[in-house]
Amino acid sequence: MTASLPENSHKYDLGFARWVYKNINGADKLSMCMQCGTCSGSCPIGSDMDNGPRKLFMMIRAGMKEEVFNSDTLWNCTSCYRCTVRCPRGIPVTYIVQGLAAKATHLGYATEQDAARFAKSFWWSLTHFGRTDERLVTAKYYFSFGLVKGIKKSLENLKIAFGMVMKGRMHLGPPHKVSANKDLRAILAKAQEIEAREQQGGAES
Amino acid sequence: MNQGPASQTILVVGGGIAGITAAVEAAETGYDVILLEQSPALGGRVSAFNRYFPKLCHPTCGLEINYQRIRKNPRIKVMTMARVVSLSGQAGNYSVAVKTMPRYVNEKCTACGDCAKATDVEVANDFNFGMDKVNAAYLPHEHAFPPRYVIAPEVIGTDAAEKIREACKYGAIDLDDCEATVDLKVGAVIWATGWKPYDASKITNYSYNLSADIINNLEMERLAAHNGPTGGKILRPSNGEPVKRVALIQCAGSRDTNHLPYCSRICCLGSMKHAVYVREQYADATVDIYYIDIRAHDKLEAFYQRVATDPQINFIKSKPGHIQVEDDGTPVICGEDTLSREIYARSYDLVVLALGMEPNALSDTSASSRDDYGFIVPMPGNDAGISSAGVAGGPLDVSMSVQSATAAALSAIQAVRTAASLPAQGGSVNE
Repeated sequence: MTASLPENSHKYDLGFARWVYKNINGADKLSMCMQCGTCSGSCPIGSDMDNGPRKLFMMIRAGMKEEVFNSDTLWNCTSCYRCTVRCPRGIPVTYIVQGLAAKATHLGYATEQDAARFAKSFWWSLTHFGRTDERLVTAKYYFSFGLVKGIKKSLENLKIAFGMVMKGRMHLGPPHKVSANKDLRAILAKAQEIEAREQQGGAES
Repeated sequence: MNQGPASQTILVVGGGIAGITAAVEAAETGYDVILLEQSPALGGRVSAFNRYFPKLCHPTCGLEINYQRIRKNPRIKVMTMARVVSLSGQAGNYSVAVKTMPRYVNEKCTACGDCAKATDVEVANDFNFGMDKVNAAYLPHEHAFPPRYVIAPEVIGTDAAEKIREACKYGAIDLDDCEATVDLKVGAVIWATGWKPYDASKITNYSYNLSADIINNLEMERLAAHNGPTGGKILRPSNGEPVKRVALIQCAGSRDTNHLPYCSRICCLGSMKHAVYVREQYADATVDIYYIDIRAHDKLEAFYQRVATDPQINFIKSKPGHIQVEDDGTPVICGEDTLSREIYARSYDLVVLALGMEPNALSDTSASSRDDYGFIVPMPGNDAGISSAGVAGGPLDVSMSVQSATAAALSAIQAVRTAASLPAQGGSVNE
C-alpha cells in the first residue's frame, strides 16, 4: 500500500542554487554562508526588507526561485557595502544582491515593487539626459502605477514639489542634459551589446 | 662535529598552567628543568581567572598544588622576568640566550609589605588589565609565586625608590638591578608561551574603545574575582552601579575572515560561566548570549544544559552587526535574530565581548615551525627537541592544556634521551 505524497506548498527548483552560483557575479562564494545574520543585522534598512540578505541566501539554497526573484530585498539595497565589509566569510553580499536584481529584470520579474519601479524611472532619466531630473523621474515613477494613481500621488506631493522649486532644488523647464549626451548613449549601447553577448555565451556553455 | 656531551636539561618557556605542568612532570620523572616566565610571577592567564568551567572551582586551588610541587623539587629552576631572545642548535645541544628584566628586589624578600607602605606612588595594575592602580612596590597578586615584591620601573631614580629601599629591613631592595643576558645549554625546549586575547579595538563595529561598559572576557573575569578591581562585585565600569541587563557576544573577532578565522573553543563555555557569575550576584538581572552556534563539546554540554534552564539567561542566535554607543555611553547592540528575523536594537548596562585566543608572538622561533595563525605545531621533519604545550600549540581549555603539557614533557624526555644515546659525532643510528 502506498500513501500519496503530500502536496508541496512551495515550488522548489532544486537546480536554482547551482544556477545562481554560476550566473551571478560573486555568488560562487554563497556556499560559505553560515547564516550568522551579520549582513541583515548591519543593513541600515534591514527592517524595511521583506527577507534581508541572510534569509534570501537561504531561500536560494532552498530553491525558492520565484520568491527570490520577487523579493523586495533586491531593490531596497542602497549599496552601502556594510554587509560586504563585515561578512565573516568574505561573501560579496552587495554584488550578489545587485546581480540578482539585474537578472530579475532580464527574466521579467520585478515589475510590481516600488523600488523596482523607481529604479527603472531613474535609469530612464539617466539614459535620456545623462543625469536625474527630479521632476521627470518622480512623474515617471508615479505614473507607472497608472493614470489615476499617478495623478493622486502627484497631488499628494505637490506641496513638497513646490517647496523644492522655491529652494531651487527642483527645476522647471526643459531637462538639463550632460553636454556629451550622445557619447554617453554610445557607451551605454556598447555596454548593453557586451552584456547581451556575454549572456549569449553564458547560455551556450 | 663534536659539540660536547648532550645536555639532559629541559627548558620550558612560559610559566602558565601548561608550562608549570610540563616542568613539574619532567622534573618529577628525574630531569633537570629550567622554567622561564616573562612576568614577575607564575600562573599565567589561569591565575587571573575567577573560576574554571564547568565545575566553577577556583584556579588558585590547582595552582597552589603545583607551586608546592615546584618548591619541593630541587630539579626545577624558576626564572621570572625572563624571555628567550635567541635559540640555536639541535636536540641535545641547544644554545639559548635569555634576557632578564630587573625586578629591583632580590631573594631576601619576605613579602612583608613594608616597601609598599613607604610610598604613595601608584602605577597601572597589569594584573587587572589597568582597571585599577597598584602601589609602585607591589606583589603581582596575593597568590603570586614566587612570593616576592616588584618595584615598578617608573619610580626608579626618584625619591620614592629611595624611600622604598630604606623601608626594607632585609636589604632586599636592589635599585642597581639591571637587564642581563644569560646563555643556557639545554637538551630540549618546550614552548608554553600561551596566548593573548584578540585586540578588541580592531573590531571597530563593536565600539570597544567608545564605551567603558563594553569590556572583554578577561576583564569580566577580573570584575568577578574577589581580588579584582571591584572586590568581586560585577559593576558597570562607567559609574560603578549594579548591572541589570548584560549582553555576552560570542565570536567577537573569531570565525571571521576579517579577524581570527578559527574558533578558540573556550569562549562559549567562558561566556556561559560569565552568565552564571552575573546571575549568582543579581537575582533580577537578565543575561543575553548572542551566538552563531554554541560549541559545548562532549561532557561540557551538561554545563550548557544547566545554564539554559535559567529563564533569565537568553540564548539569541545572531552575530550582532554593530554596537552603537549613546551620548551617555550606553551600548546598544544592533543585529538580526536569525530564528525570528527580528531586527533588534537593545541597550545594555554591560556588554562583554568573548574574544578569541591569539598566540603570543615569540622573539625567536627560528627553530620552531608555526601554522598560518602563529601556533607552534609539529611538522614533518621537525627538530625532535622542540615541542609545544598548551595554547602555544593551538586553542585549548585548561584541562586540555594540561594534557598537552604532559605530552610535551614526554616528547622532551624522549628527545634528550635519544640525543644522549646517539654517538657524539652525530652518526646515524640504524634501528
